Amino acid sequence: MFYEHVAIGAVLFVLGGLGVVFNRSNLIIMLMSIELMLLAISFLFLVNSVIIDDLIGQIFAIMIITVAAAESAIGLAVLVAYYRVRGTIVVRSLNLLRGIKIFFVECFI
Amino acid sequence: MYILVVFIPLVSAMISGFLGRKIGTKGAGVLTSGCISITVIISGWIFYETALNGSSTYLKLWGWFDSELFTAVFGLQFDSLTSTMLILITSVSALVHIYSTGYMSDDPHIPRFLSYLSFFTFLMIVLVTSDNYVQLFIGWEGVGLCSYLLINFWLTRIKANKAAMKAMLINRVGDIGLLLAMFLIIKELGTLEYSTIYSLLGLIDRKNLTVICLLLFFGAVGKSAQLGLHTWLPDAMEGPTPVSALIHAATMVTAGVFLIIRSGPLFEGSSLVLTVVTFLGALTAFFAATTGVVQNDLKKVIAYSTCSQLGYMVMACGVSNYSTSLFHLLNHGFFKALLFLSAGSVIHAVNGEQDMRKMGGLIRSIPFTYTMVLIGSLSLMGFPYLTGFYSKDLILELAYGKYYIIFAYWLGSFSALLTAFYSIRLIYLTFITNTNANKGIFRGADESSSNITFPLLFLAFGSIFVGYLAKEVVLSNTVSPVVSNFIKITPFVLSLVGMFLAFTVYSSGAIFKWGVYRKLEGQRVLYTFLNSAWQFNYIINNFFVSYLWKFGHLITYRIIDRGLLEIIGPRGASQLLIKSTQRASNLQSGTVFNYALIMIVFTSLFILGNNMGF
Repeated sequence: MFYEHVAIGAVLFVLGGLGVVFNRSNLIIMLMSIELMLLAISFLFLVNSVIIDDLIGQIFAIMIITVAAAESAIGLAVLVAYYRVRGTIVVRSLNLLRGIKIFFVECFI
Repeated sequence: MYILVVFIPLVSAMISGFLGRKIGTKGAGVLTSGCISITVIISGWIFYETALNGSSTYLKLWGWFDSELFTAVFGLQFDSLTSTMLILITSVSALVHIYSTGYMSDDPHIPRFLSYLSFFTFLMIVLVTSDNYVQLFIGWEGVGLCSYLLINFWLTRIKANKAAMKAMLINRVGDIGLLLAMFLIIKELGTLEYSTIYSLLGLIDRKNLTVICLLLFFGAVGKSAQLGLHTWLPDAMEGPTPVSALIHAATMVTAGVFLIIRSGPLFEGSSLVLTVVTFLGALTAFFAATTGVVQNDLKKVIAYSTCSQLGYMVMACGVSNYSTSLFHLLNHGFFKALLFLSAGSVIHAVNGEQDMRKMGGLIRSIPFTYTMVLIGSLSLMGFPYLTGFYSKDLILELAYGKYYIIFAYWLGSFSALLTAFYSIRLIYLTFITNTNANKGIFRGADESSSNITFPLLFLAFGSIFVGYLAKEVVLSNTVSPVVSNFIKITPFVLSLVGMFLAFTVYSSGAIFKWGVYRKLEGQRVLYTFLNSAWQFNYIINNFFVSYLWKFGHLITYRIIDRGLLEIIGPRGASQLLIKSTQRASNLQSGTVFNYALIMIVFTSLFILGNNMGF
């Protein structure tokens, strides 16, 4: 009878993951997707703790929520600082740390 | 005494070469000439002991290398063949040494020159005194090297460089034959010593013996400038004249004939090879004689005449008369050295001009040299009672005696006619006809110093008397063939015809009426054909050298070296590595969503793989 709950958690996690992968425009959406993934995980923990009748899962869920709050606070701070520097929060522009370009390599051949 | 004859020239070469600066020009001349003269006396003594008294001497000096199955020993062997060669080599070499102190007197590098000459003499002595093929090969290669050094003596001239390289390389072609023959002999008999080989001859397989003899003969062809590999000899005239006399007339080129004579017992086992030898010898004699007729360079005429006489020697070997061949070798050494040195004297007199067309009338200014050239030429023509007569006519008679290769006799006899023709032509154009030289040069021409004329005098005595004196010694075991008087007289008559033909052609002005200068198409073609030595250089360059050259560039360099080896080898490997790392680093795009995608994809793949049990 708990399978629906597990499925919901899993679907929510996958949705969050897809949100990270397919979101190319907005950094806030990415943060929200990460939040969604964390929520899905804590939901799964809670469901499982009920299923196996164990308290550890609920303790973990509380700790995850704490960590998620801290994480989103830091993430938003980074985002604000990033916006101040770059003037945009488009994810696609976040690519300064690329691998070495080809024309650069050819100088050494 | 026997070892001294080998090492005195070496010592004098080393002193003159390394300490030439210390002992000076004069010191080097005196030292090397003195040392070689001592060697002459010693070799005379050796000749007395080994040839006249018939006591051959064998010396084992020291072990050389030893690989269980095959051992090589440094050994010397003095028999009548060696001592005869020694007499020739040392005496001609000594006279050439003395001659070159005069001839090269205004050259700044006399010690080096004399050092090369002495070193050459040493190596030639090593060649003839060795008792095995390996040691012979040292001398064989060494005289080739010295030939290179001496042709290239005036090393600033590009023609000399080219001629020296040509001589070295064409000699190498023949050397390959000798090397392969040595390998085959080791395979068949397991030894390279003459005495052992001779005693084991019955054991060799007939087919292999034929191959061995063919390869040995191929080596001789390269060294003795027989038809096919002869092209280096005329070009080698770029060197100084004493070099031409010593190396390209009297000693080095005879090494090939010496090899055949030394390997005579081997050659006797194969009638096919003997026929080939006779054939090629006779053809060479004929070819070189026809070419000599139309050469205009004084030294080249003599060079082709050398080639022709070597053809006679090889022909004599081909009809199994090795001692006759040796006899002609000895005689030819003397009169050809005389001819070359006199040519050098002429060239010295006319300030280095070598073209006969620009000489003439020198008989009044240098009568002594004229006499010397006349003696040498008459001897070369085989004029009765001079040196050449005793061997040349005998060779022709012997060739006639072997009925199955009778064409060799006729080719040889016709070559005798041509020999007479070009000798008289040389004398006429250089000495007798009206002069074509510059006034200054013609009036400045006079006899050279005594350093130059004394060797000529000695060689002239040699050219007159050696044949008569050495006849009994060298030819003691030759049976003169029974041929009719008509045949016996034919070569001589043909020589006379040649002489008178040349004399009439060049003295009566007939040459201008119907001779070679007339622009008839056929005559011009014939003249060009003969003047360019039967187009051999053209043929070889066009059909062998250029293809090899292209092969070297296109196949070995462009396809194999630059192509296959580089593409597969270092350059290709590094490029492959760089390309693939670039492709791998493209994965790191810098965008977060790609990293997330890659992580997800690979994590799920990993889990999938784990579940499927990989």
